[in-house]
Amino acid sequence: MTGSIALLGQPNSGKSTIFNNLTGSRQHVGNWAGKTVEKNEGTYTYNGTKYSVTDLPGSYGLSGNSDEEMITTDYIKSGQSALTVVLVDASQLERSMFMLAEFARLDKPAVLVLNMIDVAESMGKTVNAEALAKKLGIPVLPFNATDSKDYDKLKKLIEDELKAPHRLIVPAPAENKNVKENSKEKFEWVDELLSDVTQTGDAVYKMSRFDRVMTRPVLGKVLCIGVVLLAFLVAMLIMIPFMSIGSMIPTILHDPVDKLLTGWNVHPWLVSVFSTMLPNVLYFTISMASFVFGVNIVFGYLEETGFLARAAYQFDGLLSKLGLQGKAICPMLMGFGCTIGGACGTRVMDNWGQRMLAMSIVWAIPCASIWSIIPVISGMFFTWWQTLLVCVGILLYVVITMIVVSKVFSRKLAPQATRSGMIMELPPYHKAHWKHIIKEAFFKAWDIFKRALGTVTLVSILFYVLSFSKDGNVDNSLLYRLGTFIEPVTKFFGMGWQTFMAFVSGAFAKEAVLGTLNAVFMGDNSLMEATFFSKTASTDTALLGTAMSAAISPAEALAFMFATTFNIPCIMALSTTYKESHSLKWTVKVALFYICNALVLSFIVYHIASIFM
Amino acid sequence: MKLIETKSDMRGSITAVNGDDHFMNRITSIGITEGTTFQTVRNDKKMPVLIYLRETLISLNRADAERIEVTSK
Repeated sequence: MTGSIALLGQPNSGKSTIFNNLTGSRQHVGNWAGKTVEKNEGTYTYNGTKYSVTDLPGSYGLSGNSDEEMITTDYIKSGQSALTVVLVDASQLERSMFMLAEFARLDKPAVLVLNMIDVAESMGKTVNAEALAKKLGIPVLPFNATDSKDYDKLKKLIEDELKAPHRLIVPAPAENKNVKENSKEKFEWVDELLSDVTQTGDAVYKMSRFDRVMTRPVLGKVLCIGVVLLAFLVAMLIMIPFMSIGSMIPTILHDPVDKLLTGWNVHPWLVSVFSTMLPNVLYFTISMASFVFGVNIVFGYLEETGFLARAAYQFDGLLSKLGLQGKAICPMLMGFGCTIGGACGTRVMDNWGQRMLAMSIVWAIPCASIWSIIPVISGMFFTWWQTLLVCVGILLYVVITMIVVSKVFSRKLAPQATRSGMIMELPPYHKAHWKHIIKEAFFKAWDIFKRALGTVTLVSILFYVLSFSKDGNVDNSLLYRLGTFIEPVTKFFGMGWQTFMAFVSGAFAKEAVLGTLNAVFMGDNSLMEATFFSKTASTDTALLGTAMSAAISPAEALAFMFATTFNIPCIMALSTTYKESHSLKWTVKVALFYICNALVLSFIVYHIASIFM
Repeated sequence: MKLIETKSDMRGSITAVNGDDHFMNRITSIGITEGTTFQTVRNDKKMPVLIYLRETLISLNRADAERIEVTSK
């Protein structure tokens, strides 16, 4: 036996918390047919019956013509779900009951869940659920998302209602073609319903002391940036234990696997695939997933407490120039630490187009790894103040790239008509539900680990084949042959085969750039080892600097630095973007844009720099 | 007067909302309908206007606040 239900609620009604707690890890994320709106489905079992849950897209109403509203209306009308669970925020009951007013005309079986009843009570608001249920004709369940007993009540209620469903007995508000009148009549319907069943607190609003500070024009912005940077550090701290265990994998596995396979007379090429490459892929993916875990915990916390809404308020004006909502500020700041963190941080945004646009803009932000290699390379060719100029130049170009990316992609991803975020609510501060945050972060990290392992392995094998040489000498690798073969073309863009190879490996992992330069200029490391052991191998930068400055011109070095910084981020960030957007088409589109951008930039920088140097 | 001209802590009610259907749909579905009482919480230069209405703290950008007419109580 199976049952099917749908969750309906406005943004911030706690819908995703309830969805995640009901279904746990048994979730499937896809897209609504033909639309760029995310479709979340999941299942749970209760008393031997399996229930499927559809999380309907969040919107404030159902009368508008946005994709979200059309999908929801059509889905409920189709009757694919036998029961609609309508969620409202009990602490803002009057406003959030608007959704029920919109739902009423669809005349389908429903239950009403008064979520955040704990918050409402702490504000001195009371709701007489029984009286409301009597008026409505459907069950009304006061609900506290942190209380596991309430989930049992909800599951029991769903079980009962599927056997004997109820529909609203109160007449639906009249539909009016005039949008203004339509909403007005619906709010009057809500006011009428709530008139003798609720008691609200003070009519005068007093900002909390924290909010008074957080909403100050300058201080608030400084605090927001500070909090996000702190959040990044915390995410790193969470990641460290997992990463240090992961980092042991290549060392532990290398020798035994090597010995075993060599003993079986396996071809040395395959031996190093299993002894060097795969353990490193495992290590990379573990690092990435544990970072995603950390980021999800801190962002989950910041979102649940209501901090993100304050940050969005502060930066909305600035980011609307890029076609983004204010909420994008957090993933963008996160991007200075790590592009993977930035990409998965876009999860807090409620619209797919906005998320994809934010991810493609986050790619332009140089991550910590880039900031760690650029000064080193620049120092080989330039004085300290010239190096400073290079960094300033990079920062300026970050802004230019962001504007160009927004110009190129925002027309499709964030059409003027759908830009939201200018009108938004600032939910009251909530206590964070740690158990829920950690659980959800774990599921997301596990999910990304499973998916990324495949992608990263595939790309690693490709790079491995290209960089492999029997005797460890770079000159015998396919990449060398390919690099020297197309050198006339790369020279046009300002890069010789050596720097072009480092450019390519930078697309694999930014940390690999120094190792690759070492391999191609010094010839003492195999290219493959340089790439896969980049995180453990140390490079003698002084020696490398001498070799490099003898081999290439400062103009080429400059072109290379810019090209590497603004190329696609590492393969892990790429696969995170793919995972988060569910769109291979868009990930590839944006990646192609960045590759072209890097090459054109390299061309311009090289030819201008050649005039002066 | 316009919402954008209100000062912090002023209380009043919405008298008119002007704009196309898309704007109207967004603004009224969040609760800003004619006749609703509200309180301006914060109105700083170059920042969105913060108002309290129907038990909710709402942030509106300045261009939108320009299109809402209010009267003080």
